[in-house]
Amino acid sequence: MNDSVLLLSLASAIVIGTPILLAGLGEMMTEHSGVMNLGVEGMMLGGGVVGFWMSSQHSSVALSLAVGAGVGALFALIHAYLAVTLRVNQIVSGLALVITGTGFAGFVGSSNDSALIYARPQSFLEPVFGESMQDLPLVGPLVFGHDWVVYMSWGLVAAAAFWLFRTRAGLAVRSVGEDPASADTVGISVGLTRYVYTMIGGAGAGMGGTYLMTQIFATYQHGITAGLGWIAFALVTFAGWRPWRALVAAYVFGALRNLGFTLQILGASVPSDVLNALPFVLTIVALIIISARPAAARKYSAPSALAVPYSRETR
Amino acid sequence: MSLPLGAFELTVERQQIPSRLVRMAAPTASVAFGLLVGAVIIWASGQDPILAYTEMAKKGFGGRLALTGTLVLATPLILTGLAAVVAFRMKIWNIGAEGQLILGAVASSGLGLWLGDNGIGGPVGIVLMLGAGALAGALWAALAALPRAYLNTDEVISTLMLNFVALGIMNYLIFSSFSHWRDPGRATFPVGRFVDDSMFLHRFTGRLHIGLFIALAAAGALWWALRSTRWGFEVRVTGDSPRAALYSGMRVDRKILSVLMVSGAFAGLGGGIEVGGVLGNLDPRALSLGVGFAGIVVAALARLSPIGVIPVAILVASFTNAKPGLQVLGIPSEIVTLLEGILFLCIVGGEWFLRNALRLHRRVGPVEAAAS
Repeated sequence: MNDSVLLLSLASAIVIGTPILLAGLGEMMTEHSGVMNLGVEGMMLGGGVVGFWMSSQHSSVALSLAVGAGVGALFALIHAYLAVTLRVNQIVSGLALVITGTGFAGFVGSSNDSALIYARPQSFLEPVFGESMQDLPLVGPLVFGHDWVVYMSWGLVAAAAFWLFRTRAGLAVRSVGEDPASADTVGISVGLTRYVYTMIGGAGAGMGGTYLMTQIFATYQHGITAGLGWIAFALVTFAGWRPWRALVAAYVFGALRNLGFTLQILGASVPSDVLNALPFVLTIVALIIISARPAAARKYSAPSALAVPYSRETR
Repeated sequence: MSLPLGAFELTVERQQIPSRLVRMAAPTASVAFGLLVGAVIIWASGQDPILAYTEMAKKGFGGRLALTGTLVLATPLILTGLAAVVAFRMKIWNIGAEGQLILGAVASSGLGLWLGDNGIGGPVGIVLMLGAGALAGALWAALAALPRAYLNTDEVISTLMLNFVALGIMNYLIFSSFSHWRDPGRATFPVGRFVDDSMFLHRFTGRLHIGLFIALAAAGALWWALRSTRWGFEVRVTGDSPRAALYSGMRVDRKILSVLMVSGAFAGLGGGIEVGGVLGNLDPRALSLGVGFAGIVVAALARLSPIGVIPVAILVASFTNAKPGLQVLGIPSEIVTLLEGILFLCIVGGEWFLRNALRLHRRVGPVEAAAS
């Protein structure tokens, strides 16, 4: 086997895994507060298209990522209003958000004035570490060969794990997701928590979409996310609502996206259609295994109040 | 909740049964608000909203060609809408209609091709073909239904995931293999093999085919089954209170299985009808339309009424039908998708007014409040 091919494909699994991780980690935060937002794909497209536009206007990548995150959060705000304040069915609202975000991206992307299809980002991120470190065997390309967004995503995973499971504030969020009535009794604002965490989820999706369009593809095309938003949604379940597991799972899913090319180079041929479906098959299998084992189900199952609207009057 | 307004205050009260006025006014106002938001966006992008809206109405409903086109597009949407209605009535969240429709199309085109190869066609072939579609949809749904019924595996995620697995299967059959479904004569630009002409569904005028009436009959059948059969009664009871259903001796696990499989059968039938009435082959480009997700929103807007699904599906289909026409006028056709999403969000949000009432009271002073 050719080592460098394998190594390169692992390194690129990290690259393509990064937007999945950003969006998936965001959705994980949202779901820990008891809100399920199926609109990840729509928020990635909607936030990403504005972030991409920004990148074609301005050379700061950080600014485009921030703009993409902000727009993603605004899309999520719509879902939060419908799901938390108006208490509508979150599945319906989330799917409507997918349609809205997809339409928004298509509309913005194809308007005659902007013609984003022909636009290009003004700048691309370089690897953070110097040549000498990138040339190190094994760890060079895998650990030291990335831009700062990848390292930031690792930091965000650590921060999310610490925040959710080691701080009082994180405990409050999880209590809102598990048992909002009790959280309400001890003075935690269920509504505010859910709004904030739903918007955090939107920001993750918007940032992931921007990274995908500006840094990975460097172009905007209609439907460019091609299901990555849904993979990010699946990631939350596959990772059992745990941030560190999400990090690993994102790269596994990313590797599956690339595996077709890798295997082709190595002389084997597994159709990409089959590989593209694998993350979803794996998620179903993980879900069934977890639900079949009560001990695992207690530890790695969804927050109890996920997708259940809360109102003080009917508790 | 209350909002003080001078000597008055506005309070929000829960209501069980909305008045007829509100039932009509809430969706109308929501649509109007959605159209207004859409108009602002169209206007802000330098287009004429009035022109866009009149063109959309014309391309959707104006004339025989537009109307039949809309009805053809509405057919699968009615069926995926029904798929959502029957499952959601029991609070089983089947969001896999897309995949069930795709598997239905795979099975019916597969059987249709096999029957054609063996010299069987005509009405018998059509019935078998559509039956295969419905059966495949039901079996695909069973993949999520069995774990849900016996292991309590969350069906929201499993049905959602199965959509993408179905998509992968369909793409594999046409793009990545020399399967039974693929036309061997077209190597560079893969397409599906066409079924025999005698398997095409009967066409009336324009592209309007008999599939619409099959969908309408399915809506009638579901309405009757939910209203007048023991099965329908048990579905409704289980949806309202699973515990009550369990204590009264209903087999909830079997009900989950049957409801999800019936739901999948509707969607699978929709896939079969697309093959027999519109496409004639397994066409991955045409079958990744999003009718599964749209069907869920249609069902929600129809407030889970099987009959209500019909007009809502036709309205939504008219939007889709207007897309190519708008593009010709220089208005980006994607505005239609955006507008659809905005309208969906507004109407779904407008449902709030059916569950809550706003009342204007004279403000009660602190003394009176304490006394009352």
